[in-house]
Amino acid sequence: MQLPDAQVAVLRTADADTDRPITELAEEAGLKPETATGAALALEEEGLLAVSEQTEQTTTLTDEGREYLENGLPELRLYEAALDAGADEDAVSLGQLLGDAGLDGPAVDIALANFARKGYGAVDSGDVSANPDAEPDNDAELNALEALDAGESVEDENLLDQLESRGLVDRQESTIRLVSLSQDGVTALMEGVEVAETVGQVTPDLITSGEWEDVEFAEYNVEAEAEEPSHGKEHILRQTANRVKDVLVGMGFQEMEGPHVDAQFWINDCLFMPQDHPARTHWDQFDLESPDEIRELPDELVERVRSAHLEGVGPDGEGYHSPWEESVAKSLDLRGHTTSLSMRHLSGYAKGDLEPPERYFSVEKVYRNDTLDPTHLLEFFQIEGWVLAEDLSARDLMGTFTEFYEQFGITDLDFKPHYNPYTEPSFELFGTHPETGEIVEVGNSGIFRAEVLEPLGVEADVMAWGLSLERLLMLMYGFEDIRDVHGTLCDLELLRDVEVVY
Amino acid sequence: MPVVDVDPDELRQLVGTDKDDDELREDMFALGLEFEGWTEDDEFQLEFAPDRLDRLSVEGIARSLRYQYGTDRGVYIPNTNTAEWTIEVDGPPAERPYVTGAVVRGLEFDERSLESLIQIQEKLHATMGRQRAKGAIGVHDLVALKGTAGTGGEKTIRYTSMDPDEERFVPLESEDGMTPREVTESHHMGSQYADLVADFEEYPAIYDDIGLFSFPPVINGRRTEVSEDSRDLLIEMTGTDQWTVDHMCNIVCYALSARGGTVERVTVDYTEDTPGEYAGQTLDRPDFSVKTKTVAHERIESIIGVEFDSGTVLDSLERAGLDGEFDEDAETYEVEIPPYRVDVIHPLDVIDDIGRAYGFNNLEPTYPDVSTVGGRHERSRLEDATRDTLVGLGFEDLLNFHMISTEENYDRLGVEAGTDVLGGGDPVTIREPYSEAYEILRTWALPSLLLVLENNTHREYPQHLSEIGLAAQLDEGENTGVTEHQTVAGVLADTEASYEDARGRLQALAQAFDVELATPPTEHPTFISGRTAEVVLDGESAGVIGEVHPKVLVEHDLELPVAAFEFELDALQ
Repeated sequence: MQLPDAQVAVLRTADADTDRPITELAEEAGLKPETATGAALALEEEGLLAVSEQTEQTTTLTDEGREYLENGLPELRLYEAALDAGADEDAVSLGQLLGDAGLDGPAVDIALANFARKGYGAVDSGDVSANPDAEPDNDAELNALEALDAGESVEDENLLDQLESRGLVDRQESTIRLVSLSQDGVTALMEGVEVAETVGQVTPDLITSGEWEDVEFAEYNVEAEAEEPSHGKEHILRQTANRVKDVLVGMGFQEMEGPHVDAQFWINDCLFMPQDHPARTHWDQFDLESPDEIRELPDELVERVRSAHLEGVGPDGEGYHSPWEESVAKSLDLRGHTTSLSMRHLSGYAKGDLEPPERYFSVEKVYRNDTLDPTHLLEFFQIEGWVLAEDLSARDLMGTFTEFYEQFGITDLDFKPHYNPYTEPSFELFGTHPETGEIVEVGNSGIFRAEVLEPLGVEADVMAWGLSLERLLMLMYGFEDIRDVHGTLCDLELLRDVEVVY
Repeated sequence: MPVVDVDPDELRQLVGTDKDDDELREDMFALGLEFEGWTEDDEFQLEFAPDRLDRLSVEGIARSLRYQYGTDRGVYIPNTNTAEWTIEVDGPPAERPYVTGAVVRGLEFDERSLESLIQIQEKLHATMGRQRAKGAIGVHDLVALKGTAGTGGEKTIRYTSMDPDEERFVPLESEDGMTPREVTESHHMGSQYADLVADFEEYPAIYDDIGLFSFPPVINGRRTEVSEDSRDLLIEMTGTDQWTVDHMCNIVCYALSARGGTVERVTVDYTEDTPGEYAGQTLDRPDFSVKTKTVAHERIESIIGVEFDSGTVLDSLERAGLDGEFDEDAETYEVEIPPYRVDVIHPLDVIDDIGRAYGFNNLEPTYPDVSTVGGRHERSRLEDATRDTLVGLGFEDLLNFHMISTEENYDRLGVEAGTDVLGGGDPVTIREPYSEAYEILRTWALPSLLLVLENNTHREYPQHLSEIGLAAQLDEGENTGVTEHQTVAGVLADTEASYEDARGRLQALAQAFDVELATPPTEHPTFISGRTAEVVLDGESAGVIGEVHPKVLVEHDLELPVAAFEFELDALQ
């Protein structure tokens, strides 16, 4: 009969007449206890061993028990101090004795409680009297601790209970397995057992030759750490962007794209931002030196946008009291928001005229002339989305965004009325952070003004919102310095170790 | 966003409430005024969106709270007295032709209310006034002014021009007489606004009988300086747009009226040959006339998403400080807008006011019942598939800035701008960049990847990095003058990296997209000669591949070989 190494060793060590604990066999056979147990159970399955179970109680000293063994039980130390101070004749003040016995903190209460219980004396109004007949050398608890420490057993259950309740010993029940050879086992041994061959690496040859049928596979330490292969990973911000895109596509949004370098016309003028708006200075946006102007803008649209700025739209529209020059509209910038893409799409310039209903989004780079710090980048991703439909209301806007943010665990949205030059009504969105529970700003939204839509030729309503992807990432995954992630200052180790997003 | 400092005690007094600080803060938050913190003088610092410029002072905020509490309802117009003073407009600089003004009498100032008057001027300058370029305010102690008795007996001051070097006066916070030019060159306040008149041949000037007392928009004279003892004020505002200065003036007059002042009108008399569109006209200012907007009931319901009866709408209008009249036939409201509201320029703005007064936060969200089909853009799908393939080939996907310095983009890789190698295109350049590190858009992505390698030499190797992102260069054939494309770049940095490793991965990528790869030898200054090839995909030249030249490696503090490639994403299509 061929058996694996460990089973052969266990079989040879087991006895037909006595039940022996597996741990003992393991030691004799030079096996790890768990290996021997595994082997014994396998042998039982084969009918070669009989395995029985027995419950054993073990009692071990706690740290406190060990400490008292070394320094004396507190009540004994008190008793000895009392005797030294003559308390067997006249009561002595407790305070003095505690000092003599070196007792303080919780040990004081322990000493007092057990002192009286065990008949070492009495404490009355802060005075201690000692019982001269007590026998500290025969203290049963101390003796039991000493016995347990020496590895001897203590049979007195009451005493053990008492020690356990004082927290000086731990009592645990454990199951031990006892094994003995069965009749078949004896027969097998007599007929002869040998160790089956074990193999390490599984080789093609082993598989194709059929040799695998006769071999045992050497056990590996399956718990050990292994060397990690070097591997790639999609950038954490891309993963987050893709998650956002998935959600939006699922909500019926189509993706937009368009130029990073664009005319202020598309970036600002179509959005009804007056040309002397403070945010249109080069302090806030990246104005280009080269190239500096777009060649052509759609003439009719330019006329309608100019008129919206100067005269307003509709019978009661006023427009702004700000200058409007086509040369300013033609000057080129790095886009400060991807709303320029929304304008290109809504005007029909990007994909032809749109019929309601439509939903569009983009998750693309925008550029702001800001100060670079842990939460601000000069370029970042903006999530931009809009819905074109008949008769959209503030309630539709709230419903759409509630749905979107819930996908990211951001709930209890609050819509704070706000002002944007291009939307009315406008709302800043606040939500509850999924981890910290803080109220955080999560976006800006609104319904596009008539001064935006009419020049574009849009007759239905459009609601829109924007949010920075980096902000969503930081909210959801707790990054503190966005520069570690985005840009050439990134830390490869951080990118390699960061948890994946799904 | 503007920030206003407000003394809570003063606010309570003006509102007529005994609410505590926390209650006030909460009520103001509902108005959109966010508490940012306390000033050193224990005042609220309030931040708000720049639409309601009439709230740029404690008086304006108090007015809004009174409407919110229902203490005031509907449109309020302060009474004004007949004009005694005239501003004669006689040849001011054509660049700054417009002026308006008012007199306010019977004021009593203390330190705080004087500070508030200074603050509202500063805040209006910063917002509507566009840093004084569009409109600038001057406030003067009327007692110090002396007007000539004209034919009608009225008192007159004159808005005109002056020679920057001929006139002299003592400006605020100065002991000595200076010429206007000296003020712009050396006065600590005046020099801040020197740019505003830098191109003017003659400077704006306001005279009374005694002489020059205001040099708008730069500084006032010291003679008419307002103090706690001042009782009657003359307010003048000059600018490039009459509507703007008139409305800035309205906001100031409303604030002073709330302080108990009586507004007295001023005649603005534009002479026949003065510049600007009001030549020959006489204006009666301040202009406290209300304007009206016609708002359709149906539009109110559709924007807010709630069915209203007209009573609720009218009530909301009054609580917003507006007045409305419902026309049952047309189902519209004629809404009156008070003269301090500069933000109402379309009926939609009235609907927003109704929504705020009604309470947007009381609305129940609904999901719009319209269905559309979602989808990704083709380019974004191609980019993702390429990225997935690169990651599968062991590349760490990176994301770098599109902005970079000229030195990084060209010099440190040995490339010259204006050459026809990959990366050698002319760059899109940013006007007056803050930082040299971000002065152009990158023409290729390998410089970014080499920077990442340079910044991560302390991290474990191999470092196999890739990026798919924007590259751009000048192109006269484009409408914007720029071609933008998505570029695919990869670097292999490890002790045994070689051309073959890069070629192998590029081959695998090409095969995954079923495009044919050819790599005829070429020269590129970033790479080692003889180990550099053109990346040709399906017969089209798309990029470059090779072993990076040691001079570029040493430049980036790299001590091991780097093989790299870069090509246009569209070539995989």
